[in-house]
Amino acid sequence: MRNGLIALMLMLTVPAAAGAAPIGDIRLDSKVKSMRKAGVGPVVYPHALHDKLYKCSECHPKIFKDKRGANNMSMKMNMDGKFCGSPNCHNSQRAFPLYDCIKCHTKVGAK
Amino acid sequence: MKASSFRKLKAALLCSLVVAVGYTVGGPAVAAQKKQQGANQAQATPSKKESSTSGIDPKDPSSVIYLDSAGRPAGTGDPGKPASVAYKAGMGWHPQAISASGLPKDRYGLVDWARLVRENIISPKASLDPEEEEIPPLKMDVVITAKGDFVNDVIYPHEMHTYWLKCDVCHPQIFVPAKGSNEMTMVGIVQGEWCGRCHGKVAFPLTDCNRCHSTPKKAASK
Repeated sequence: MRNGLIALMLMLTVPAAAGAAPIGDIRLDSKVKSMRKAGVGPVVYPHALHDKLYKCSECHPKIFKDKRGANNMSMKMNMDGKFCGSPNCHNSQRAFPLYDCIKCHTKVGAK
Repeated sequence: MKASSFRKLKAALLCSLVVAVGYTVGGPAVAAQKKQQGANQAQATPSKKESSTSGIDPKDPSSVIYLDSAGRPAGTGDPGKPASVAYKAGMGWHPQAISASGLPKDRYGLVDWARLVRENIISPKASLDPEEEEIPPLKMDVVITAKGDFVNDVIYPHEMHTYWLKCDVCHPQIFVPAKGSNEMTMVGIVQGEWCGRCHGKVAFPLTDCNRCHSTPKKAASK
């Protein structure tokens, strides 16, 4: 009984001590209708991959509000230098360019 | 079961013992041999070094590619290394020359050829053939609607393109000359179809989306 309690406490405290729980892939599909017209599928955003490369504060909250659904992203916004297309991100030579549709969008070319 | 594992252990021990003994017996002899070889090499290397530092033998017909017009070794005189600074500069664009020319550049640092034409900085001849008649640029903008709801539409300027190119460069092989009959997609363009036949290769790259996607959609929501 006591061992079980300790195990439970460990389970609760260890992730909290290690910081926020790691965030996996985020599916961006609020504009899926428009995406389908353009011949692409939803975006699967690899948060963990960006986690490794950058500090949280480099994106949050200046570029992206850290709340799911709070960022009204669109390809136009990216093209105008917001969100993913920020001047130091996918609109620069530091990351792959915005026209590489297939790197972010799923089902590219499917109808 | 136990006996077999013991046998295996015994075999392994024996093997390692043999290896160890072999090393102690063969080690010094092999080392001595190596030493001798090293000495031989040491004797051989100075002459080799001499030949490389003294440069290329101008009388050797195979070394002619390393010589300048006066018959002396060109550049640093070392055929294993780049000939000179000029070689490195020739590897890519000439950045100094471009910055000195003062040509207008886009936000990616590439020469903006369209602006060069619009501001009358250059006026190239229509053709090398003086007999050939000059065709004036075609003033015709084509609106290409973007498929997605949120992306700006494209205004395709015939004028700028026909300034550089003849009609049959693009029509009818790349683009069917009828409105709406070309099923263009951005994915296809990235893969080198349609606009991608030139843009990203000889014309400005696809990186600056808004250079083509320039007119907001009328019905587009923010």
